Amino acid sequence: MNPLLWPEYSVLLGVLACLAAVMALGTKRSAEYPVSIVALVASAVFTVHGWSGHQSPVALYGQTVIIDNFSVAVDGLVILAAAASILLGWNERRSGTDFPALVLLAALGMMVLGAANSFLVLFLGIELLSLPLYILAASPGTSASGEAGLKYLLLGAFSSGILLFGLALLYGGSGTMIFTAIGPAHTIAPLVAAGSALTLVGLIFKLGVVPFHMWVPDVYEGSSMPVAHFMAFGTKVGAAAILMRFLFFGFYLSPGVWGPLIGYLGVLTMIVGNLMALPQNDLKRLLAYSGIGNAGYLLIGLASHNVTGAEAMLFYLLPYGFAVMGAFAVVTMVAGERSSISVKDLAGLSSRSPALSAFFVVAMLSLAGIPLTGGFVGKFYLLQAALFANQPGLAVGLVLATLVGMGAYLRPLLASFGHPAQSLEPIVWPWGGALVLAVATLGTIGLGVYPAPIVQIVSHSANFFWLH
Amino acid sequence: MVGFVILAILAMAGAVGVIVARQPVHSALFLIGNIIALAVLYLTLSAEFLAAAQVIVYAGAIMVLFLFVVTLLTAGKDEREAAETLPGQRLIAGGASGLVGLALVVLAILNPGPAISLGLPKNFGTLRGMGAALWGPDFVYLVAVAIMLLTAAIGVLVLNRPERRAVRGARKASARQTRSREGQA
Repeated sequence: MNPLLWPEYSVLLGVLACLAAVMALGTKRSAEYPVSIVALVASAVFTVHGWSGHQSPVALYGQTVIIDNFSVAVDGLVILAAAASILLGWNERRSGTDFPALVLLAALGMMVLGAANSFLVLFLGIELLSLPLYILAASPGTSASGEAGLKYLLLGAFSSGILLFGLALLYGGSGTMIFTAIGPAHTIAPLVAAGSALTLVGLIFKLGVVPFHMWVPDVYEGSSMPVAHFMAFGTKVGAAAILMRFLFFGFYLSPGVWGPLIGYLGVLTMIVGNLMALPQNDLKRLLAYSGIGNAGYLLIGLASHNVTGAEAMLFYLLPYGFAVMGAFAVVTMVAGERSSISVKDLAGLSSRSPALSAFFVVAMLSLAGIPLTGGFVGKFYLLQAALFANQPGLAVGLVLATLVGMGAYLRPLLASFGHPAQSLEPIVWPWGGALVLAVATLGTIGLGVYPAPIVQIVSHSANFFWLH
Repeated sequence: MVGFVILAILAMAGAVGVIVARQPVHSALFLIGNIIALAVLYLTLSAEFLAAAQVIVYAGAIMVLFLFVVTLLTAGKDEREAAETLPGQRLIAGGASGLVGLALVVLAILNPGPAISLGLPKNFGTLRGMGAALWGPDFVYLVAVAIMLLTAAIGVLVLNRPERRAVRGARKASARQTRSREGQA
């Protein structure tokens, strides 16, 4: 038992406590939701304590796991995503009693990814993250859940196979499993290059980067709202964290090999994702394509390969997460008993519930990147990183994609100010969703107006000294 | 080297057979060939425990499960496949992946990595060596795999959730009706 791993331990204990609660109390009295929230709060307390407790990285288990400020920051983001998902699905009869336990298990996988420093831990983390998500996508709740689960499982297994093949080649070519032990001579070996290409394919599949994005909209559409939210926020955090670890720890000496690849994929992803978001009518699909576009923005941080880029990438996850939390909370409340809603269903939201409409405006404007929201600051940070790295192509791509995205995000907003088509029932405000919405809106505006505290945290976390 | 080439050809023939065979049972049999060729390959690499586990677990237990499911699910189903939506995609994808595989093989032969020249650790491949690794330095990975298995167990429970009583009752009633109708006929 290592005291630095208590954030992970408390999540794991939370899983076991959830299962025990279901077993002891049955499905009638649902104690698993409060238990899971308690576990996440405990994990958050340990994370905050860990943040203040240590400044220098600590290597565990023969250097395969590294606990440093980066892993602690990733823990914080993952806890936020998991807590928001559980609150959104609070006592939802469609989610079932196993929903909190599975969310906690996937969160554990994401936390492992944030601390990984070895191929073995990378693979175990990816699988630990994916298995619960396959189950959550397939669990009944929407009409297309079976299709979503099977599609995610098959494509995920395929990408895991490619990832494993790449890791085997990497091990064969470099002779080590540890990221930081990959020597400068190894990073230019052809076998290592081939292995890292295959590994990157497996990792950016999880991030939902074009051309490995086909599964994202279908899986989101077939999942229930809280699950889709967790995939949009949590999985992106985990995949972005492991990409940073893998490339900035293992291959920081050879950015010429992977930098252009990541840059081109990033520009392609943000343009395609935002363009495809334009004609979507189903709001879950729209948010899925928005997630693809945002994955492209995240890749800018990697491709620019400097400290500002790493900081901007880590920073961008938070405003993106807040915006996704807000958008999914509003969509969940408007949907009510239905499993999915289209843009037309938003019509008349402003007269039906002005407060909800206002929250929706904040979330959408943040996704679009309007000043005074967190999304603007995040995009500005990324733009700065691209320009510092002397890569104007990335900056131009970011601006173009943001312009296209503006159209995609304004469509639902326009619809919400339009006239309702039919008579509308009043909107029920569940307290869990209201809490998520309040936190998301406060966070979005707070980051847009006063981002300094988070910028300071990020600059301590993503401060990989060799990038200077 | 000769042994390796023979085993590699056998394993690859088995793997191709799995996806080419029309009958699921034939696919399963080809998979057994593939698994046994791999097990012998492990033996030549002096990983005895892995070879034995491969035969016992995969060719034994898991294959029985496969055959059981195949006989349960596909008995009496017609074997026609659904038409492809994109004509020729299998040929193109197969050709492309074959080329990529060939490129990787050439790359690996031309650039052998440093790990291949390293010696084997003590007790490599035996039960003692495996146990010492799994319960010693690699114990944390074993725990991670245990958590994964726990997830899989939860998944089985979630995805096979018993239907609501009302639905089950209705289904039983309809089954009874059909049975009585068949009896009348």
